[in-house]
Amino acid sequence: MSEGATTTARDGSPASRRGASGAWRRLLRPSIVVGALSLCAVVALYWAMALRPGTNPALVPAPPQIVQTFVDELRSGDLATNTFASMKRVLAGYVIGAALALLLGALAGWFRGWGYVLNPVIDALRPIPALAYIPLVIVWVGIGEPSRIIIIALAVFKPIVVNARAGMQEVAQIYVDAARTLGASRWRVFSTVAIPSAIPYFIAGLRTGVSTGFLALVAAELIAAPSGLGFMIQNAGQYFRTDVTIVGIIVIGILGALLDQIASRAGRALTSWSEVRRDP
Amino acid sequence: MSAAAHAEAAPKLGVHGLTHRFEIGDARVPLVVLRDIELSIPRGRFVCLIGESGCGKSTLLRMMAGLLSPSEGRVLHDGVPVRGVNQALGFVFQQDAVFPWLTVERNVEYGPKSRGVPKPERERLVAHWCDAVGLSGFRKAYPKQLSGGMRKRVDLARAYANSPDVLLMDEPFAALDVQTKSTMQEAVLKLWESTQKTVVFVTHDLDEAVFLSDVVVVLASRPGRVHTIVDNPLGRPRDEATRVSDAFTAAKRALWSALQDARRASGPPATAREAAPHAMSDHDSMRT
Repeated sequence: MSEGATTTARDGSPASRRGASGAWRRLLRPSIVVGALSLCAVVALYWAMALRPGTNPALVPAPPQIVQTFVDELRSGDLATNTFASMKRVLAGYVIGAALALLLGALAGWFRGWGYVLNPVIDALRPIPALAYIPLVIVWVGIGEPSRIIIIALAVFKPIVVNARAGMQEVAQIYVDAARTLGASRWRVFSTVAIPSAIPYFIAGLRTGVSTGFLALVAAELIAAPSGLGFMIQNAGQYFRTDVTIVGIIVIGILGALLDQIASRAGRALTSWSEVRRDP
Repeated sequence: MSAAAHAEAAPKLGVHGLTHRFEIGDARVPLVVLRDIELSIPRGRFVCLIGESGCGKSTLLRMMAGLLSPSEGRVLHDGVPVRGVNQALGFVFQQDAVFPWLTVERNVEYGPKSRGVPKPERERLVAHWCDAVGLSGFRKAYPKQLSGGMRKRVDLARAYANSPDVLLMDEPFAALDVQTKSTMQEAVLKLWESTQKTVVFVTHDLDEAVFLSDVVVVLASRPGRVHTIVDNPLGRPRDEATRVSDAFTAAKRALWSALQDARRASGPPATAREAAPHAMSDHDSMRT
């Protein structure tokens, strides 16, 4: 047994006891095996549908065709250009929307005065889907990059502001009392007690924001965008290139899952102190 | 009399004409939780407040800290009326109040940091108080990695590191098992002996009151009021052996009959209006 193996054994899980076979076992965890099987089943179902006699392969392309299209799109550089354009938009919109939502949600949920001012606005905006603002944004800002970013920011804002506010309202009174008796100012209670204990809520909001952000991205790109995954999907649909549409959809799915993982891992790192169970 | 001499003579904490009512449900008549409390906590003494559950002892302690405002009457600290949270006092809660998102040392450092104590001095305080409660080996640990007893030690260290003028403790060990509880009581006595700081300690446990206190304030219930004040004849220093001594048993018996008296003097048990008084007003007290 090598030295490295002894150090990895420290965490005590049987999977990490031996080098190569340990890596295999980690890969063969039930969560991964079952998850992979479940994805395979979806692909198989689709494949069976594509191979049914009488199905037009141009409209329902079989998986090998989709893989081929993916490779072609990658080679031509179109996929990279579109992905990059979309990522830029989604990140810009997400950062703006999330920063505003966390700030305003935290203030509204904690300080009574801020709550009086902000809560009616937040609650009035709450039932309105962000996509309903699209015509308004186009009229006011025009068709261009800023309007797409604004739409994404609006879509991201809502779930995050609602979660952030809820988190601040749920802060346990005992910690507030403890901090006050220890000499903390009201500002210090806000920044060192309320914010840290609301972080699990912030993370939940940020994760929901990722999916609403992608939703808005595609919608925003459907309106006269010169590039982006939404544009790619829409454009391909007009030329009956179902295979390209499917590639676009899959790439969006992968990007969304990736960003969600980043948000979730960041959240875990920030709340490693928490005793709450966090399995899936 | 000079101001200094006056301060010397005045009790550390004074409670005068304190009455408190809660409005519960749609009842037109508010529930009187505490009535006409007069109390002097002498400087440097260890005072226990004892009474049956629901007698308002925790509410009274919260009022001494300024966490709650009484309907009538006032609390004086060194002769000065207390308004709002009195940040010169330390408070140890019954529930787990250690900040779970901070390590042990950051918890202990919290009070001094809030007061702007410079970093080298904070380092010294953290080292000293972590050592005093036996947590030197756990300074970098998070509370979730500690047992209930160890978290209480963190809580005590955090309170003492803030050099409070008086320590108020609200049944701090009620949730601990018997063995841990005794160990913690000995730890508290050691802290009290080494600092000579005034302690007001709420409990419903006779043994705890006898083992810790100089003076025991016995409360009667419904409405909560001071029934008797019993001087604890038990000598010091006290240790594990004290608990099985004859003197301890005698002191406990005397306190027990005082408590029985108080029980007989208490009002009839409330039925629908039975409530844990301080729990209801918690949320009104502190939010900005």
